Amino acid sequence: MAWEPHMFKELHQIPREEHVFPGTPLCAGCGGLESLRLASKVLGSHVVYVNAAGCFTNLAAFPFTPLDASWLYTTMGSAPAGAQGVRDALDVLIAKGRLPKEEDLKVVVLGGDGSTYDMALSSTSGAITRKLDFYYFCYDNEAYGNTGVQLSPATPYGARTSTSPCGVQHPAGTTQEKKDIFEIWRAHKPPYMATVSPRFPLDLEEKFARAEEYRGPKLFLAFAACPTGWLFDPAYTPDVARLAVECGLWPLKEAINGTVTHTYIPKRKPVEEYLKLQGRFRHLFEPTRQDEAIRHIQARVDDYWKQVNG
Amino acid sequence: MRAVRFHGRGGQGAKTASRILGTAAFLEGFVAQDSPIYGAERRGAPVAAFTRIDTLPIKQRGAIVHPDLVVVADASLVQDPAARVLEGIDERTAVFVNSPLIAEQFQAKTSLPGRLTTLDLTDIALQQFGKRGAISALLGAVAGRLVGLQRESIREAIARELADLGLAAAVIERNQTTALQCYDAVPAVPLETGSPRPIVPVLLRTPTYEPPTRGTAGITAGPNSAIRSVAGWRTFRPVLRPDLCNGCWLCFANCPEGAIAIKPDGKPAIYYPHCKGCLDCVEVCPTDALTVERETEAAREA
Ligand SMILES: Cc1ncc(C[n+]2csc(CCOP(=O)(O)OP(=O)(O)O)c2C)c(N)n1
Ligand code: SF4
Ligand code: SF4
Ligand code: SF4
Repeated sequence: MAWEPHMFKELHQIPREEHVFPGTPLCAGCGGLESLRLASKVLGSHVVYVNAAGCFTNLAAFPFTPLDASWLYTTMGSAPAGAQGVRDALDVLIAKGRLPKEEDLKVVVLGGDGSTYDMALSSTSGAITRKLDFYYFCYDNEAYGNTGVQLSPATPYGARTSTSPCGVQHPAGTTQEKKDIFEIWRAHKPPYMATVSPRFPLDLEEKFARAEEYRGPKLFLAFAACPTGWLFDPAYTPDVARLAVECGLWPLKEAINGTVTHTYIPKRKPVEEYLKLQGRFRHLFEPTRQDEAIRHIQARVDDYWKQVNG
Repeated sequence: MRAVRFHGRGGQGAKTASRILGTAAFLEGFVAQDSPIYGAERRGAPVAAFTRIDTLPIKQRGAIVHPDLVVVADASLVQDPAARVLEGIDERTAVFVNSPLIAEQFQAKTSLPGRLTTLDLTDIALQQFGKRGAISALLGAVAGRLVGLQRESIREAIARELADLGLAAAVIERNQTTALQCYDAVPAVPLETGSPRPIVPVLLRTPTYEPPTRGTAGITAGPNSAIRSVAGWRTFRPVLRPDLCNGCWLCFANCPEGAIAIKPDGKPAIYYPHCKGCLDCVEVCPTDALTVERETEAAREA
């Protein structure tokens, strides 16, 4: 669909048609699946998904697939290289007249944060440098989710994972800060990048529609609230996703040819409201409150927004 | 040897229950071994766990094919061939099922072989903890009772295993109390392990591999996952009251599964075979048109 500004002003404009069907073995309440389902409504069915190993491996568990598009499975480190192969093959087929131009397909990488921030980073960097015309959809559940919620470079400070438990030495859990993959991508000067959250479906749909205008590498970082890994009841996926944005921890923004625009400026509730909902941060509140760690998380958010507002 | 097999859904705590049982046995001086198996699937999908208890070193490994006791955390799994609950059960096997039905009713409904005991652990957990969620301590305690372990070792094992999961002391204590009530509610069954079953020797062969072009699985048809029902994943179901619905589509936008369709009149409809019961739709509904009902066997089939 051709994009016009503010195409998605109200929920009734969200396409009814589904392109990611039900019946997958992904967890109930998976925020990553919710993001992909909404994204696919704009991406449509003329797509090849190139999927790095991760939770989304379980999308298509043989002999079932929920996609009315094609799906190619790759190792964790090589999805962007796989996408290059698919794109090249499509281009060659079109150039030789063996595939009509109208039947061209979009190439979309699906990767968890483990692949995106970590293992596939060199492959990604190469693909962006080669100006590969593809979408990169990262569902960021802030851990290596599929293998038991291990620390990833996307895990935020203070979260407990199975490999960064809270102990005597590190009472706050993870001591590293979340890697800023958005800025790493932006340094490569791709034409389009955005962060999205499924709890802001109109913003999400709008960004996917807008990205269609751009040829070259396009990044989507989707907030993937993860009930299983973040230890909250799946009913609260919408609240966790909303509070991440409202507390300023997950800024909704896009960068067109490197220029960043924030598409939503939250009033910024205290980060505590977000942290308190999740078991992975419970140790910050009980048995003893860790004020220092909570202040630290709040300060990082405040610093970010100070720089945004000038 | 006591061989116990647990069946549950990811997230219910079958794995932790098997650990609690093993740890309790260990505390009583037995040799114990426990191991879980998950498929590639996630929370809600069938999971199994195995505990072996003996006075002598245990040389067996892997899945338990001929269990003395089978503990089923989710009754809907009995009907699911993929979960393989019935495997290796005969009339000597003790079986425990988490179900509101009494044993005779359940047996009549499922023609399950084995000596059956039931208790509605989910209901007990809801009353005691006010929320659904892991029933691992309760399962572990029931299993411990059935194989004849002591109350005190169960209490201690729950403390150790739940502390390992990072649960707060108060939560652990509540789990202990409730678990021991379940312990008291089921009678121990003298397990009939009978004469040892012959072990069939396994010959190892080197497989012949197909070339990748032939050996790689491919699906060439369109989206076919929708033919699978995920109804068994639910503990609760969302129920729509159309008169309260303002047709805002928030539930439709937020359902991760795509289990909510919009009818021609612009109002939503939930398709239950596709609903995993996450209740996200209930959480976002601004008019309380979506309410929550406890899933029952009858409702699941509807
Ligand atoms: C090179 C390599 N190392 C390890 C694995 C095992 N593995 C499969 S899925 C996975 C976790 C992936 O994490 P992430 O990319 O964050 O995705 P998520 O599971 O969170 O969806 C791992 C480590 C693998 N497939 N390949
Ligand atoms: S572990 Fe988290 S990200 Fe992975 S399928 Fe489950 S909810 Fe989704
Ligand atoms: S409970 Fe979850 S899966 Fe079921 S209809 Fe509601 S949002 Fe969808
Ligand atoms: S969220 Fe509630 S009011 Fe809105 S369409 Fe769904 S059921 Fe109706």
